[in-house]
Amino acid sequence: MKKMAFLLASIASLSFAVDYDPVRGEMLSLSCANCHGTDGKSTTAIPKIAGLDKNYMYQTLLEYKTGKRVDTHMMQKHTKGFTDEELEQLSYYFSKVK
Amino acid sequence: MINRRDFGKLVLGATALSFTACNSLASGLSTIPANKKRVVIVGGGFGGAATARYLRKFDSNVEIVLVEQNKEYYTCPFSNAVIAGMEKMDFIKHDLSTLAKKHNIKVVHAKVAKVDGANQNVVLENGEKISYTKAVVSPGIDFKYEKGYTKENEKHAPHAVKAGEQTTILQKQLENMKDGGTFVMVAPADPFRCPPGPYERISLVAHYIKNNKPNSKIIVLDQKDKFSKQVLFTNGWKELYGDLIEWRAAQFGGKVVSVDPVKKIVVTEDEEVQADVLNYIPNQKASQLAFDSGLVADGKDWCDIHPKTFESKLVKDVHVIGDASNAAPMPKSAFSASTQGKVVALQIARMLKQQEPLNPPKLANTCYSLLSPNYGISIAAVYNALDDKIQNVDGAGGVSPETDPDGHIRILEAKYAYAWYESQTADIFK
Repeated sequence: MKKMAFLLASIASLSFAVDYDPVRGEMLSLSCANCHGTDGKSTTAIPKIAGLDKNYMYQTLLEYKTGKRVDTHMMQKHTKGFTDEELEQLSYYFSKVK
Repeated sequence: MINRRDFGKLVLGATALSFTACNSLASGLSTIPANKKRVVIVGGGFGGAATARYLRKFDSNVEIVLVEQNKEYYTCPFSNAVIAGMEKMDFIKHDLSTLAKKHNIKVVHAKVAKVDGANQNVVLENGEKISYTKAVVSPGIDFKYEKGYTKENEKHAPHAVKAGEQTTILQKQLENMKDGGTFVMVAPADPFRCPPGPYERISLVAHYIKNNKPNSKIIVLDQKDKFSKQVLFTNGWKELYGDLIEWRAAQFGGKVVSVDPVKKIVVTEDEEVQADVLNYIPNQKASQLAFDSGLVADGKDWCDIHPKTFESKLVKDVHVIGDASNAAPMPKSAFSASTQGKVVALQIARMLKQQEPLNPPKLANTCYSLLSPNYGISIAAVYNALDDKIQNVDGAGGVSPETDPDGHIRILEAKYAYAWYESQTADIFK
């Protein structure tokens, strides 16, 4: 049973490609805050991104980067400036904001 | 027990003390207490305020002193909307009181004479000194007064690229211009504060003229041959204002030979242009404070920095951010200054704890410009700060799409321009 639990935990962790690095996550988040508010807590017409589900946010950022999602094109200009790993770190960071 | 004579001495002493306290702008800051570290930030604009606000976020113990000469700060972003009568001065007014109250930052309102790197202190104009462990300098720009333009006659031909009194002067001149008048802008050579700024201003002045003084015209005499978001601007001008705006490139009649700011006459290589309102934006360089502090190398106009930390290449432990720094290819913009301030705050917080600076830090810029209240365009870029340079990330960034057949992107971007302003200012002043 214990082995099974360990195995399941290992499989679950496979779906997360990178280990979270909170220091880099925060550094990468700094320019996001200019428009999305400090720590992503926007109170304006620009979407709030604080506390979003990490995988949802990561998928959304990848969709912007690959052009699957467009909106005003602004997010495409930014996401193309980040590696997938950096986008995932960002997603971790904002998902953990209370 | 104290007798009456002693009591008298005490009162005298206390009076003397309180006088000293009144005259002193920076009392108790000439030395740093043992086992304390102090970061002194010079300039309370987008760069300086972002540094202060975020350094406190990263380090709850370090002493932070922010020195800014003005109690009220008017932002250049959205000052063009004020000039065109769309917004009032209050819309662009901010102050540092929240940073002081909520974020435990000591705000000193005083004019700085120079940063003395050799003695690690900031020297105020009244001679007082504030010692620092690290200094961050974000002093903005100054002008090259040449071709007949002087500081004294700025009020006749306002530049209005330092927001405040200059903004009001230009707004009033436009308001008082006769219908059928000529609004002339002289746009500066690169590099200068806010690359799309002059062209956003021309757009919004055109918006004002179209609605209020439809027989007037606009001439732009440019000291360069191309400008930021040019295709988007010129297409938008045609669409919104027909042939109201005449833009002359430097090589096709834009080049200014001399100016008479009082008579509002600009002499170009081909002719004399008589303006009713003359918005003269001179060529620019780093703030005089940067020169007086030895932060600008001989023959240069801007402060060279180590890209990863923005530490001056000339003076140790002094970091220069914002418009005064040479951070090309980053533009001299409020957004650039703010992200630079945040990254520098993070790097300084690490250095003070004997940790290595993060490598490579990432920087970005995003600027929205309005062509009318409901017509916005944007530009963005992402950068990596490497050892020897700041580099554009390939494939990232760019401008708004050239075509917007149903117009919905322009409307949305106008809405985002306002949100961008609200977010940016809240992020650092609140």
